[in-house]
Amino acid sequence: MSFYTDQQTLDDLQIFGKPGGESIYSQFNRTRTAGGAGELEDLFRYPLSDAAAINRRVALIRWFGSARVEFPFRGELFDVIEQYLANTDERTQLAREEHGLERKIRRMLAPDATYVAVAGGVASVIELLQTLQRFLKSLEVSAGDHYVQEMKVMSDVMAEPDLEPLLKSRGKGRLAYGILAAYDRVIRWRQRDRLRRLLSVLYEMDVYIAVAGVAAERGFAFPVALPPGRVGVKWEGVYHPGLKRAVGNSLCMSSERNILFLTGANMAGKSTLMKTLAIALFLGHMGFPVPAKSLEFSVRDGIYTTINLADNLDQGVSHFYAEVCRVRDMARALSQGRKLFIVFDELFRGTNVKDAYEATVAVTEALAERDNCLFIVSTHIMEAGEVLRERCGTIGFRFLPTVMEGDRPVYTYVLEEGISEDRHGMVIIRNEGILELLKNGKRSGS
Amino acid sequence: MTFTADKQTRQDLNVLSKYGSGSVYGLFDQVQTRGGARLLDDWFRQPLTDADAINTRSAIFRYFQEKGFGFPFDAETIGSMEDYLQGEVSGSGIGMAVISICRKKWIGGFFRDGQFGLLQKGMAAAIRVLRQLGDLLELVETDAMGGDFGKELHRVRGILDDQRLRRLMEDGQEYWTLLATARYDHLLRQGLREEMRTVMEVIARLDVYMAVGQVATENGFSYARALPVERGCLCARGLRHPALKSGVANSVSFDRDSNVLFLTGANMAGKSTFMKTVGVSLYLAHMGFPVAAEELEFSVREGLYSSINVPDNLSLGLSHFYAEVLRVKQVAEEVSQGRHLLVIFDELFKGTNVKDAYDATLAVTEAFSEYRNCIFIISTHIVEVGEAMRGNHDNLQFRFFPTYMEGSVPRYPYQLQEGISSDRHGMLIIGNEGILEIIRGG
Repeated sequence: MSFYTDQQTLDDLQIFGKPGGESIYSQFNRTRTAGGAGELEDLFRYPLSDAAAINRRVALIRWFGSARVEFPFRGELFDVIEQYLANTDERTQLAREEHGLERKIRRMLAPDATYVAVAGGVASVIELLQTLQRFLKSLEVSAGDHYVQEMKVMSDVMAEPDLEPLLKSRGKGRLAYGILAAYDRVIRWRQRDRLRRLLSVLYEMDVYIAVAGVAAERGFAFPVALPPGRVGVKWEGVYHPGLKRAVGNSLCMSSERNILFLTGANMAGKSTLMKTLAIALFLGHMGFPVPAKSLEFSVRDGIYTTINLADNLDQGVSHFYAEVCRVRDMARALSQGRKLFIVFDELFRGTNVKDAYEATVAVTEALAERDNCLFIVSTHIMEAGEVLRERCGTIGFRFLPTVMEGDRPVYTYVLEEGISEDRHGMVIIRNEGILELLKNGKRSGS
Repeated sequence: MTFTADKQTRQDLNVLSKYGSGSVYGLFDQVQTRGGARLLDDWFRQPLTDADAINTRSAIFRYFQEKGFGFPFDAETIGSMEDYLQGEVSGSGIGMAVISICRKKWIGGFFRDGQFGLLQKGMAAAIRVLRQLGDLLELVETDAMGGDFGKELHRVRGILDDQRLRRLMEDGQEYWTLLATARYDHLLRQGLREEMRTVMEVIARLDVYMAVGQVATENGFSYARALPVERGCLCARGLRHPALKSGVANSVSFDRDSNVLFLTGANMAGKSTFMKTVGVSLYLAHMGFPVAAEELEFSVREGLYSSINVPDNLSLGLSHFYAEVLRVKQVAEEVSQGRHLLVIFDELFKGTNVKDAYDATLAVTEAFSEYRNCIFIISTHIVEVGEAMRGNHDNLQFRFFPTYMEGSVPRYPYQLQEGISSDRHGMLIIGNEGILEIIRGG
């Protein structure tokens, strides 16, 4: 079963970001090999939706971190090997019985590209295998049950009689032509699939080691996926991985509290908090370490966010209509009975207050009935909160406060219980003395 | 006295940027000469604040538009004449001029640097332009021009009648002997130096007058009529945005007893465009330029303040709301000095919660409306503010842009109507899409 999400969500959370820009992916992208980077991207594209698989990956990354394993191979090695293995043209096979002298003379006159490529490829494979052999011997602690399959792939390679001569091959010098031709045949034809499997295991290892390194360096926590049956998420001290001095927040949601109604002034940090919660949960579903003190969650079928919804003015679609369409799409996903985590920032901001108020109340009320899903809804319209408090029992109210220091608003970015009471608007206007200014000015005629 | 329109306003109205869609400057920037471009730039930067000056200038535009003279010069010839006249001149006597010319000729002979050729080309261009100008002035009725321009044209006529210049123009040659070259060069660049400068200025003005007249003809623009400050009115019929090809025309009228327009309507219904249209048209009118209206009469204003796209300054830690408050304060300072302004506020206080926005919009609108010297256009989503003010103030006009529903798709006629918007299509659209049923069912 795959995990449901969409482009809007990936963009909102900046999972991949713009090319060259900051993104969640780029924060974890410390892999040494190109194959590892591709593997990492796949993990981001396809989060897991199975608790056992998530916990297994968590355990693996944790093990790689605690065993302080370093990736033992040179990154360039893999580029050469990939290219070498990709060439399956029979004609590039070195002929076994070619006249030695004739060949030598010809090679003196002009270098033989095929020969050079094969020799380089074989040498790289030999280096890879021998490094792997040393690496496996140096491993003291076993990874436990989780890494059994991968270990088997590696030890099978080590035990393969075909490859034994390569492991024993000695010296840096050039291999004799006949031996090289024989090795080439083994690597590219007889043991090709086995080596491919080995490579993909090593790429995964590259990713795990890189991610474990990021986790250790930044003090990320390992999430815990709860078995299905319960509905709930518990974030503790969660913060945004892209911010330098991010503030930690804690929050608990369950089927009895399946909606978080978030209020607060602009700039108070609503959007960032919503992104933070969603990013942590997204990483959790990948089995990756998360920027938090701890994270426990019941596995969801998908995550959807609506934070920076673009209106499509060219098509004559107003912002409000774009929002309505988005909500409709979410509603359809809900109606299929999936267990989702959904975030709406500033629901219905593109319309007049009365409409926005009514729409927010109606939609939030309907969402509250879906107790197998979790929702976060933020709004400017605090009045909607008061009504919802009376009508629905499953809504949790939190706000991000604004503190006035003199006439400057200061933001704490720490969640508090309740609905925002901040009415600093008029205070600011009074502080600026606008009304007095107009009262005492030169009016017409005077 | 200068016409005030600060950076925020100019950006909102997009009057000074030359490129991009909706650029008004780009629309009028059809001039051919560098001098014309400079003059157009000056005029765009400094609208006028004197009703007579404005009416005089627009009368000249109208004259040239009606006559439809084509600009007789080509840009390249004017360019080389300009370069020639501004070129370096050594000494002031005729003797020095001869020496300088000879040096250019002989050095040119040795090094082939083309200086002498360039000089002759510039002179030929100047003479050609002077001749064409003479022909054009035959057609222009100088007396029809009011103000300075009529006098300037008279002066240029006088200059062209100068005996020495006449001989040069009737010479009919393109290449002269060394001595003749020196003599003519001395005449053009030293003897008649100031006169030539006047000629260039007149050509630049002719360029702008003809270009703008041409734009007015192509787009069907008309000229606004400026009235003295005291009347305090602004009356527009069939007003469109000049840079929008298919803009919808609206009529609007203000005077001292109805100086505040309270504008409501759904998003996309055309509020911002309308506000920009009024702002841009009044700006152009103060330049004496043609506007996209059937009729426009206005009392001269001292300035224009708009607040349509106020950027938040997040790097300074200012929220959008605070940025708006500062902008309102800035405008309030100007207004409270008793100046005659046009003030445009789009979606005042949108960056805060509803209650604050309501209180603030009401308080600020009421305070502003006391200033009858100024004209205010204020738009908001918070229609309740309008209801609260209706009845208490006799100088408020209420207008809105309606939305019609065609099935579940909203349609906007962009036609201003009297009253306060009561469009509540939000829930209707949600109902049409069946969202609540989808969430609950399934």
